[in-house]
Amino acid sequence: MLHKNPHLSMRHISDEDLVRSADGELSSRRAAEVDVHLEACWDCRARMQDIQSTMTDFVRAHHAEFDGQLPPAAGARALLRARLAELGSKSRPGWWKRVVQLELPRVAVIGLPLIATAIGIFWFRQGTLQGSSSTTALFNSEVTPNRSLTPGAAREVAISELCSAPQEQVVADVSVSLRQRVFREYGIANARLEDYEIDYLIAPRLGGAEDIRNLWPEPYSGHVWNARVKDALEERLHEMVCSGQLDLHTAQNEIATDWIAAYRKYFHTNEPLPLNS
Amino acid sequence: MSSTDSINGLAFPTLAGAALEAKPSGIEREVIALYGQFRVPLLRYALSLGLPVHDAEEVIQEAFLSLFRHLQLRRSRANLRGWLFRVTHNLGLKQLYGNQRLDAKTTADWTIAKEQLDPSPDPEEELLSAQRHHRLQAVVRALPENDQRCLRLRAEGLRYREIATILGMSLGAVSISLTRSLARLARADGR
Repeated sequence: MLHKNPHLSMRHISDEDLVRSADGELSSRRAAEVDVHLEACWDCRARMQDIQSTMTDFVRAHHAEFDGQLPPAAGARALLRARLAELGSKSRPGWWKRVVQLELPRVAVIGLPLIATAIGIFWFRQGTLQGSSSTTALFNSEVTPNRSLTPGAAREVAISELCSAPQEQVVADVSVSLRQRVFREYGIANARLEDYEIDYLIAPRLGGAEDIRNLWPEPYSGHVWNARVKDALEERLHEMVCSGQLDLHTAQNEIATDWIAAYRKYFHTNEPLPLNS
Repeated sequence: MSSTDSINGLAFPTLAGAALEAKPSGIEREVIALYGQFRVPLLRYALSLGLPVHDAEEVIQEAFLSLFRHLQLRRSRANLRGWLFRVTHNLGLKQLYGNQRLDAKTTADWTIAKEQLDPSPDPEEELLSAQRHHRLQAVVRALPENDQRCLRLRAEGLRYREIATILGMSLGAVSISLTRSLARLARADGR
């Protein structure tokens, strides 16, 4: 359509050019032409507004469609940190690798005695590490409950209730008499009570019950697998249950069966992650 | 896409000599910062491909692990956002096609999404806007897959050139696709 008015001395703008203009995807020359036309042409301006309104409506619908599904970022970020740290430690070449790759000929003569010494140190350290692994295993046997005394117990609760209640509302203090019964059950003497806290095996926020079968004396510290590490696992499982990624009964079973194994599984790591991650 | 071969076991290229001097701890921090910046739009795009939430989150994790490798190998830093969307798109489709339980899980995720939508202060307004959203969402889901992806990527702020690269289309095809989709959405909305 051609117009006599000099400002309208071109055809109406096509829908495609209007979309590209709204998106800033026209060449500068064509963008200037479109701007001049839009100043003069109500018809094209109305179409432009419709296009922009449609874009706005779509963006809102797009967000409404998915934003409610987005799980909290904290657990996923901690997992990514752990994976990056693992990847970084695997790919980081040691100084010895550079020597082997770049300077082997020069190093060979003077390096052989050093290499022999290094092998000796390596064997020595391996022995030490194996020793410390055994120690860790001993620690682990203390930081997981006796399954015959503490098999875990859950209460009847709806997932929606678990996921809507703030953390402070679901953590209940264990009564003094129940705490004493747990200590007696585990044969812990009065002198050592201060080294332990009574912890829920299945956390209340995962539906765990205040029941002697779900409580055990957990060491406060001095162990790699301590109560804070278990808290991190509970947080992750809670997030996964509430975002529909994990069935509640599966979460309860796994934490009750072997919480350390569950931690390793859901954080993809053999050792606990730093607590600040 | 060279460094993104599978979801469950990424086959990364071997460490090049150029990376010997890299500082992984600095790169780790950078990747975590980029994760904070782009996780949500990437996750939304992965979900829009039809992935269940858990798989979408896993795809994003893999994309950022690939980014870590990419930066460690001192490859191009130009347009990392476009790079991340491209990797997410490829990994997401691979995961989608390999996912045997997709239909059941997607249905479950839809239910959760509906339950978790933020309530609007005005119930009438909420109902109207929810109805419009559902109508628009239905129209979008009826569009050809490539048109849907064009639209979703544009909604996440990608430029035509980036969309063209991610979807393997020409610039002109992106422009035509968006125009066609917007016209359909406008008709559905009675414009």
